Amino acid sequence: MATTRSDRAFVDKFPHEAAIVKATFLVAFVALGIGAFFGLIQALHRTNVLRVIESADYYTMLTGHGVLLAIVFTIFFLCGVFHWAVARSLNRPAESRLFSWAWVGLMTTGTVLTTVAILGGLVPNLGMSADVLFTFYAPLQAHPLFYIGLAMFIVGTWLAGADWFLSYRAWRANNSGERIPLQTFMVLTTMIMWYVSTIGVAVSVVFFLIPWSLGLIESVNPLLTRTLFWYFGHPIVYFWLMPAYLMWYTVLPKLAGGRLFSDPLARVVFLLFLLLSTPVGIHHQYLDPGIAEGFKFIAMTNTMFLLLPSLLTAFTVVASMEHGARQRGGKGYVRWLGALPWRDPAFTGMALAGAMFAAGGFSGMINAGMNINYLIHNTLWVPGHFHLTVGTAVALTMMAGSYWLVPQVTGTKLYSRPIGLLQVIMWFVGMVFMSNAMHRAGLAGIPRRTAEPQYQNFEFLTPIGSIFELRVQIALGGTLLFLSVVLFLFNILLTSLGDESDRPVDAALPEPLSGPEGSPRILDNLAMWTGIAALLVILAYTLPLAGIIQNGGGLFGGGLPVPATLSAGLDFVVVTVSSAFNTLLGVIA
Amino acid sequence: MEIHTYEKVWLALSLVLIVGFIATIAYGASAGPGIDMIDDKGGTVDPATLDEHPKFGDPGIEKTGENQYDVYVVARQFVFEPGTSEPLRVPEGSTVTFHVTAADVIHGFEVVGTNANTMAIPGQVAEFTVEFDEAGEYGILCNEYCGSGHHVMEGTILVMEQSEFDSWYEQQEQQTGGEN
Amino acid sequence: MAVDSTAEGAAAAPASHASDTEGVPADAASQSSSGQADPRADSIVGAADDDIVREIEHDDFDPVGTLVLVLIYMSILIGMWVFMYFIEFLGRGLTVVG
Repeated sequence: MATTRSDRAFVDKFPHEAAIVKATFLVAFVALGIGAFFGLIQALHRTNVLRVIESADYYTMLTGHGVLLAIVFTIFFLCGVFHWAVARSLNRPAESRLFSWAWVGLMTTGTVLTTVAILGGLVPNLGMSADVLFTFYAPLQAHPLFYIGLAMFIVGTWLAGADWFLSYRAWRANNSGERIPLQTFMVLTTMIMWYVSTIGVAVSVVFFLIPWSLGLIESVNPLLTRTLFWYFGHPIVYFWLMPAYLMWYTVLPKLAGGRLFSDPLARVVFLLFLLLSTPVGIHHQYLDPGIAEGFKFIAMTNTMFLLLPSLLTAFTVVASMEHGARQRGGKGYVRWLGALPWRDPAFTGMALAGAMFAAGGFSGMINAGMNINYLIHNTLWVPGHFHLTVGTAVALTMMAGSYWLVPQVTGTKLYSRPIGLLQVIMWFVGMVFMSNAMHRAGLAGIPRRTAEPQYQNFEFLTPIGSIFELRVQIALGGTLLFLSVVLFLFNILLTSLGDESDRPVDAALPEPLSGPEGSPRILDNLAMWTGIAALLVILAYTLPLAGIIQNGGGLFGGGLPVPATLSAGLDFVVVTVSSAFNTLLGVIA
Repeated sequence: MEIHTYEKVWLALSLVLIVGFIATIAYGASAGPGIDMIDDKGGTVDPATLDEHPKFGDPGIEKTGENQYDVYVVARQFVFEPGTSEPLRVPEGSTVTFHVTAADVIHGFEVVGTNANTMAIPGQVAEFTVEFDEAGEYGILCNEYCGSGHHVMEGTILVMEQSEFDSWYEQQEQQTGGEN
Repeated sequence: MAVDSTAEGAAAAPASHASDTEGVPADAASQSSSGQADPRADSIVGAADDDIVREIEHDDFDPVGTLVLVLIYMSILIGMWVFMYFIEFLGRGLTVVG
């Protein structure tokens, strides 16, 4: 069987890479299953529909939900997609199998340690817990294993990036004049962003939180570790999103029966994310004391300009879909939508994910607005928002993408397309219920991350509908989402157990309508863009961090106040950020 | 670099939209609505010696001028002082500057259903001013996870009629007067 | 020319629709887009290009439908933004003014 398709299927051409992809997907899907189960328990608990756990244990499960889904599921899946994309688009295997397995092993070990530390909180008298949530703000303290596992996981991702850079370097040696293949370009720019941004969490964990949890240092500066977390915490959002974007740009057009509308604009979009993802983290700290308003305003300006690559993506990706629809005979201004292959779960899942991202984009614009943030800060609006973005744009794209990717690494056909279709629609419907109710509950002031948001002294009020109706929607939506994950895992499991097929999927990716030939070669100058990205980060963060350390009690929370001169640097930051933009816009025009 | 005309139109509109968003926020911060951000003006405090602090050692309300008050609030696992065991009392028609800090871990301070919302971080003082126009009652809750009892951390703000408030305030002054 | 030098792309004619259909009797012209596709194509994921009735090249394609959709989206964004900022946000009591 395998011989008849040997020139086609990824698993035959790159068996070792396919094994790596399978391993990362396996960890990702196990994490997805456990994380989704915790999510179900939380949705029923906080709405007071069904309480099977103690409220104190809610936070253990919430930590597990956040870490397993937002870190483990997303990033392991990303590693699988990126490993596939690099081998496929460079048309060469990884340089060292041992090295690839080393980073898979390191990341998995880190994940296991962190998960053990978290789940230890459910076992009484064990003396191990990590009820610190996904953000692990000090002075809340977790067991040292939590931080150590996290550090190993991050180092593992660094090695994974090194693997892909080594492949690129080897490819470049034989293809000196060529443009970087688009998928590899996307992987490399994303990884550069990741290297720049993980410095923050690495410093926080290695220099402060691990020594502190081991009792080597007495205290930490809570605002400093929080700021270092968000230095990393916003770019991680784009780290989740970039594999979804990679699939929207390079796979979705094909699934729609069309071709990518513009390769050069895809490159511009990824460069904009590289430049702007990191110098924006302070927008998570609009309501933090100890950070001057000017820094918050700069973070907001950068954040608002981050809308640009996503708005450009909306156009390019929809246009690529329209191209497919018209090739399939679609007509009219909007009637062409009916000519899209809606019975294909991979296509429909990604298209619905994109539609939800458009809605999530809106609530993100509210979050990003410096002063309107007062309205929704730390309310249920915020998880309502990110369940549309990471919870749907990313997670649903990954699940839909699995229907197309998994058969390529297993050589087996998808077990059931109709179940796949039901699954992605169920996710969409479940999220419509849950997310709209969470947004509205947030406007009523209901807080996020709270086991029992039912209080003694006051009632929440909502102008339309009732709080009861919002709770029912959240519980119902959460249940549908969990069932959707069960269907997904069931479908993937049976797929992997199926018989080898001579044509597991249609894996061909057509050339873009508008290729990279006409675009400036400077787009591929990764060293230059890395330099600019680093400069922007230094400019956006040096002064706020200096202020926090000097005014806010030193590195470890006990220093002397020293006045910092802030305003002189502000102008410089603004000028540099805007000139970097002008450069990029100049390239476009 | 070749870009389709429609996409250029979209790019231009997107830039206008972004600038429009920033302009809206700038308008909100301008003299009109006059919305101020939580920032570093509240200064810092040593969380370890909060009990000895002249203000946070005995947190509460303090008259600073005609219809002007300062309120000091300490957030700690899982209470607001004042706010939880007794309501945080303010008079109607007053301008109140809050100084909020945390004694142990990071907390949130949210006045339910309003735009008064801040983080409370150990070592930092969140300072912000709001106007209480009418008598009534507000709920306060902690909107940052702060430990296993986070969900019970709540309180109330009681906006009292001026005369009622004055007699309560006078009584408070007399009780604590001897100590100061 | 073939920039995304894929296994499949390399085998296909440049700038053409690089469908991976060797050995598969997929005659695009014989299929309609009405959903009456070949059952074989229907049973695998990613076979949308088996239903292509005409190839549209770069110069023949104006994404007018996309423009319509994104303009509708932008008008929703602007309307929602104005509502959220000026009614939901500025319309509330207890705003931080200092």
